[in-house]
Amino acid sequence: MGPIFALACKDLRLLVRDKVGFFFVFGFPLLFGLFFGVIFKGAGSSQGAITILVVDDDQSEASKALIGKLTSAAEVKPIVATYEAALDQVRKGERVAYVRIPKGYGESARRPFWGTPPAFELGVDPARKAEAGMIQGVITQYAVRDVMKIFSDPDALRKQTATAIEEVSKADDLTPVQKGIMTAFFGALDSFMSLTLAPGAAATDGNKEGAEEGASIGIGGWEPVRITVNDVRADRRLSSKPNNPMDITFPQCLVWGLMGCSAAFGISLVVERTRGTLIRLRLAPIVRWHILAGKAAACFLMLLAVSGVMLVFAMVAFGVRPENYGMLAVAILCSAICFVGIMMLLSVCGKTENSAGGIGWSVLLMMAMIGGGMMPLFFMPKWMQSVASISPIKWTVLSLEGAVFRGYSLSDMALPCGVLLGIGVAGFAVGARLFTWQEGSS
Amino acid sequence: MLTVSGLIKSYDGVRRAVDGVTFEVKAREIFGLLGPNGAGKSTTIHVAVGLLAPDGGQVRIGDAGGSSGPPTDPAVRSRVGVAPQALAIYEELTGEENIRFFAQLQGLRGAELRNRTAAALQFVELHDRRRDLARTYSGGMKRRLNLAAAIVHDPQLLFLDEPTVGVDPQSRNAIFENILALRERGLTVVYTTHYMEEAQRLCDRVAIMDQGRILALDTVDGLVRAHGGKSVVVAAVDGHEARIESDDPIGELVRLKQSGPLRDFRLEQPNLERVFLNLTGRQLRD
Ligand SMILES: Nc1ncnc2c1ncn2[C@@H]1O[C@H](COP(=O)(O)OP(=O)(O)OP(=O)(O)O)[C@@H](O)[C@H]1O
Ligand SMILES: [Mg+2]
Repeated sequence: MGPIFALACKDLRLLVRDKVGFFFVFGFPLLFGLFFGVIFKGAGSSQGAITILVVDDDQSEASKALIGKLTSAAEVKPIVATYEAALDQVRKGERVAYVRIPKGYGESARRPFWGTPPAFELGVDPARKAEAGMIQGVITQYAVRDVMKIFSDPDALRKQTATAIEEVSKADDLTPVQKGIMTAFFGALDSFMSLTLAPGAAATDGNKEGAEEGASIGIGGWEPVRITVNDVRADRRLSSKPNNPMDITFPQCLVWGLMGCSAAFGISLVVERTRGTLIRLRLAPIVRWHILAGKAAACFLMLLAVSGVMLVFAMVAFGVRPENYGMLAVAILCSAICFVGIMMLLSVCGKTENSAGGIGWSVLLMMAMIGGGMMPLFFMPKWMQSVASISPIKWTVLSLEGAVFRGYSLSDMALPCGVLLGIGVAGFAVGARLFTWQEGSS
Repeated sequence: MLTVSGLIKSYDGVRRAVDGVTFEVKAREIFGLLGPNGAGKSTTIHVAVGLLAPDGGQVRIGDAGGSSGPPTDPAVRSRVGVAPQALAIYEELTGEENIRFFAQLQGLRGAELRNRTAAALQFVELHDRRRDLARTYSGGMKRRLNLAAAIVHDPQLLFLDEPTVGVDPQSRNAIFENILALRERGLTVVYTTHYMEEAQRLCDRVAIMDQGRILALDTVDGLVRAHGGKSVVVAAVDGHEARIESDDPIGELVRLKQSGPLRDFRLEQPNLERVFLNLTGRQLRD
């Protein structure tokens, strides 16, 4: 164990002093994270329209018109679904929210100024407050617009206006000046509406929906739209989407750190050869596998260190909160073993420092490109996603994501981690096999 | 201590870098391999220490107890120290870190590790610079560090492949003194060089190598006697320079003095340079 320890310490010391190598191990992945962090922060979670599910319980002209309105809205993209499907998808985290248009909506739309309007049901994960608020705003806005359009009873409206004028005149907390202004305003509104609005039908009585926590939206006592919020707690175990964009970026950052680390150590064996220090290692009373084990141990420790640093960075700077730290430890361990194997393969790739570095990085970049290290895989076409399976990067990212936000269980972890361990062991075996001990002997 | 017999090594399978080299180094001897560039000295050393597998022949390294083994045997290895011609040190480690690491590889630890590391650095007079990165050392200092790494584990047999290239005369003298001191403590040294002065000053026996073969092997005096030819008296007589080979240079001078005025003269004693010239028809350094 002594020589392996000495070899590993020496390698770690050398890496820390090698500015370029050190940059690729720590600096570049941090920059990568910062870059995407800033991009995602700027975009917030409103990257274009949010897809929401719409459940149409009313099936009326009015409800169809509302769905049409929402379709043309820039903020949301409605998809009509059944209630069960909508609930299921939100629970799985596949969609942010669903909106249930209540029975009787079309009826109540015609008498917006009295009765309690039927309540919309907004199903959303309580963790996603920003989206919930935004969706509520959008529904209110379009529902009210719809009401205004369908609204066709100028007499009723003028009655309301008259009541308003009366209430103003009776109010004792208003100064005479305020009263004058408001009366003038309602008077003008009254004459404006008498000119523009066409006569229409009167409304029937509405029915009150059982709402757990009614959220009334309206001006003063006017309540044209009611929205009840249904907390649909998204179960991450069923989901495949993170709730923090950095949850996606963190595994990618980490992958870059792991790649930098294996590249640095892969080159270091070639450097030993070209600088002549391998001669001394070979002259020492140690055996071949000591050198390989020392190299592997140093690389492994550095990979763990990189993982730790990246994790702390992601948690502190971007609020990443891995769901399962135990699984994360498993994922990181397996990834580190995989990258030790990759390092061993890279170390036998080139004869000179430049060729080794060049070959090493091109191989790594290729793997990153097809494996989702540069761009998350779900942005890629389907065929690409299946090609990605040949890249260890994919499995690294998958195992890390599994622990960070996919809610993987140990059995879910078995596949990616098994692949990683396999690559690690195979890479180490092949690399160790190809590592030529004798100089000048071919 | 070291037996090399019938060694053959070719890098390309065509030309032999070492072509049937046989010699034996006795315990506590300083054995020189003297030859021009490309003679095969380094190759011989690399095969002798087990870095290269020979194409033919055999190497055995013995110990004080009389048993011997091949240089690839780890037990044999820990008795051997090597300072390769190509520097083998980590530029990004300090002198001390380098030596300590190589000592650890040799299995030293604790107080012994500390003491041996300090002693090796003192031996090559780098103790003052031990905390500086090897990268910041001069060429000669790096070569001295390379030497320190070879002796840190107190080997019984030391191979030094051109250890004084680029080392200034003062440090070179210090290294010579120390090698002689190490020999007094029982060390055996194999020393390659193309400086015949070094071989002459330091080595008990010298093998003269050229083109992969040993041309002659003996003590310096023996080589000079056998292959050096006669002494030469070079004298300025009657305005021209006369070169007279003679077994009795003093008698020759006396005769010249008697025959006329002798304005200037010098005596060329046969040396290893002449031995090489006579053996190969070429200068050692051309
Ligand atoms: N790694 C190598 N690959 C191919 N040929 C080599 C190699 N090393 C040495 N040679 C050849 O082997 C021959 C002997 O080289 P060697 O290094 O043993 O000579 P040397 O006596 O040590 O010379 P020098 O005084 O320059 O160090 C030379 O012809 C050289 O070209
Ligand atoms: Mg040489």
